[in-house]
Amino acid sequence: MKMKTTLTNGVAALALATGIGAASQAGAQELQYWVYSDFAQGDALALQQEFIAEFVKDHPGVSITITGKGDDDLTAGQVAGAASGTLPDIFMNATSVGAQLVSVGALANIHDQWMAMPQEYRDQFDADAIATCQPKPDEMYCIPYTGFGSLLFRNLTVLEKAGIDTSKAPATWDEWFAQMQTIKEAGFYAMPDESLVFNSIAAIYAMNGNPAEWGIDWDTKTTRITPEAMAATLQKFIDIKPLDSGTSRNDQATKDLFITNQLAYHETGPWVDPTYRQAAAESGLKYDFVLVPGLTEGSHGGIKSYEIIGVAPGPNQEIAFQFAAYVAEKNQMLRWAKLLSRYNANAAAMADPEVASLPLISVSVEAVKDAFDTQPPYFVQPVPSCYTSTVIDFASAAADGEMSAEEGAAEMIAELNACLQG
Amino acid sequence: MLKRKYLPHYLMVAPFMVLFTVFFLYPIVSGFFYSFHKWNAAQPAVFIGLDNYRTILGSRDFEKAMWNLATYIVITVPLGIGTAFGLAVLVDSFTGRWAAFFRSVFFLPVVLPAFLAATIWRWIYTPNFGLLNMIFGWFGLPSVNFLNDTGVMLYSLIAVDVWVSAGFNMVIILAGLKNIPQELYEAARLDGATRFQQLIHVTIPMMSPVLFFVLTYGLISALQVFDVPWLLTGSSFSNYGGRRGALLFPVMDMMGRGFGGVKFGEAAAYGFLLTIVIMTVTAGMFTIRAWRERK
Repeated sequence: MKMKTTLTNGVAALALATGIGAASQAGAQELQYWVYSDFAQGDALALQQEFIAEFVKDHPGVSITITGKGDDDLTAGQVAGAASGTLPDIFMNATSVGAQLVSVGALANIHDQWMAMPQEYRDQFDADAIATCQPKPDEMYCIPYTGFGSLLFRNLTVLEKAGIDTSKAPATWDEWFAQMQTIKEAGFYAMPDESLVFNSIAAIYAMNGNPAEWGIDWDTKTTRITPEAMAATLQKFIDIKPLDSGTSRNDQATKDLFITNQLAYHETGPWVDPTYRQAAAESGLKYDFVLVPGLTEGSHGGIKSYEIIGVAPGPNQEIAFQFAAYVAEKNQMLRWAKLLSRYNANAAAMADPEVASLPLISVSVEAVKDAFDTQPPYFVQPVPSCYTSTVIDFASAAADGEMSAEEGAAEMIAELNACLQG
Repeated sequence: MLKRKYLPHYLMVAPFMVLFTVFFLYPIVSGFFYSFHKWNAAQPAVFIGLDNYRTILGSRDFEKAMWNLATYIVITVPLGIGTAFGLAVLVDSFTGRWAAFFRSVFFLPVVLPAFLAATIWRWIYTPNFGLLNMIFGWFGLPSVNFLNDTGVMLYSLIAVDVWVSAGFNMVIILAGLKNIPQELYEAARLDGATRFQQLIHVTIPMMSPVLFFVLTYGLISALQVFDVPWLLTGSSFSNYGGRRGALLFPVMDMMGRGFGGVKFGEAAAYGFLLTIVIMTVTAGMFTIRAWRERK
């Protein structure tokens, strides 16, 4: 009798265990969430994990694993994952690689899910940022996340030593260029070499053209760059060549020159601010950041770009979208902005008094208004590498005096069109 | 009966053969298949015959990459082996702690991760105030833009590669030097040979199998050069090869076409072209060696 009872209990326990196992398997959803490596470290990781914990609490049976990856690793992993059917469910990347990801089927079209969200939610986001995710009226491939607009970091010690009034930022290119000459005469470097990196070329071009004169016309496979605007840009590179440090804006050496009071200006994104803030605390660096001047007072140069959250097509698309939408929602983006003092695409969060007064955010909000997208239009076709390399090659050749600004612009445009059509 | 006799042998080689087939043979065969297709890894592959090969062979980037590669190999391989040989002879002349010290110092660049080596050299090459340009400045020489002056970039890379690879080759050559019987040197000395004559008539002939290995390995490595120029030029999938493609090499071009342009069929064809070049060079090396041995 006792043996029978034990057996019955054992079978019951086994059945219960099997049942629970089956039930939990049916309800379990394990999501993979890939982010930039700097989002998976320190305080940023802690906050991301907080978002995950909150979401999982409201969605029992869902588990989310966060993984940090470097830029190229992120793209290569997503492309390879699309080919092998092992895509992460939710992932970040940049708008500039959106077309590659769409072409390999790594990004789900979330248009219907997006439109199903309450109007109040959709209205939280910067309209231009949303537009970058929508190449066609019925297509949407991302939710814009963090972003940046170009900032002009100023080394106040260098400016003061050069006798420049630091209370006012240069309002026009002419004013800025005059300051650069004064700085060089005082024995300092005015700027990094802006002709060495695509984004810094774009930032200077943004002073001279309008957004319709930038990017690619994929219908005709021609560049939108005009000879006049590019010639004016190249002329600026020629003019500032004797004043620059020879380093690119991305070089570590440029940051070191700035920190050690040898470089006056550094046109770049807000990601250098933590380094400069630390230098200010440790070695007394005096700096601030202002908008990149334009040709005329009130206009501005510079570029803008967004990191995005995308969702992979597949059985987890719905829950993955819900998580992406949750992370990009105002409350989360507000916490994110407070933690990192970084601009993001949630306009409602950026307008919140808690962060709107933070200097880096308030200047960034202004910076993105006039800035150009780096490589528009997004999510249409991958930009061939010859496009970016041609822009850099001709810009640096003109800066080095190998050709005039007009020749450089004309040859560059011809070469860009050949690149797009070849 | 025979099958049963050899069963343990088959079982012992089976793990290798399975892994070799799955991770080596299959990718090669599927890569060869895709090289004749237009394929972006997501949509079904479309057969396009030899179009990928035609596209690559007709592209300026391929021409540029192959030209850079040829120049790089012609300089790097002999310079790297010569440097390693010199270092090995130098280390061989020391004994005890000093030998161990120099061996470790010269081998150190080999164990450095490529990104660290590239970061160090980006610093050394910085215009105006990098280490090299500071030294130039002391002698009143103008600053050189090592990583952006197209006339200098390739040589900047070669210096880094020789620095990185010399230690590895040195260790192999050093092992070869240690295996040369001392009697040969004694005999040479008795015959009145100078140290230089001993080097030419004893060391180098006795080292020929080792030098052949180092040369072959160096050539194959050079043909696949990728990480150091990629890092020195701050390349990404959307922009690689440095200014005017002065540091563009075939593997970089292949990676860019694959992950930047999402043209995996083209990238596969590129890989096969490169494989053909590597196999031809290697076969050529072995043929020359066999011919010399027959002589």
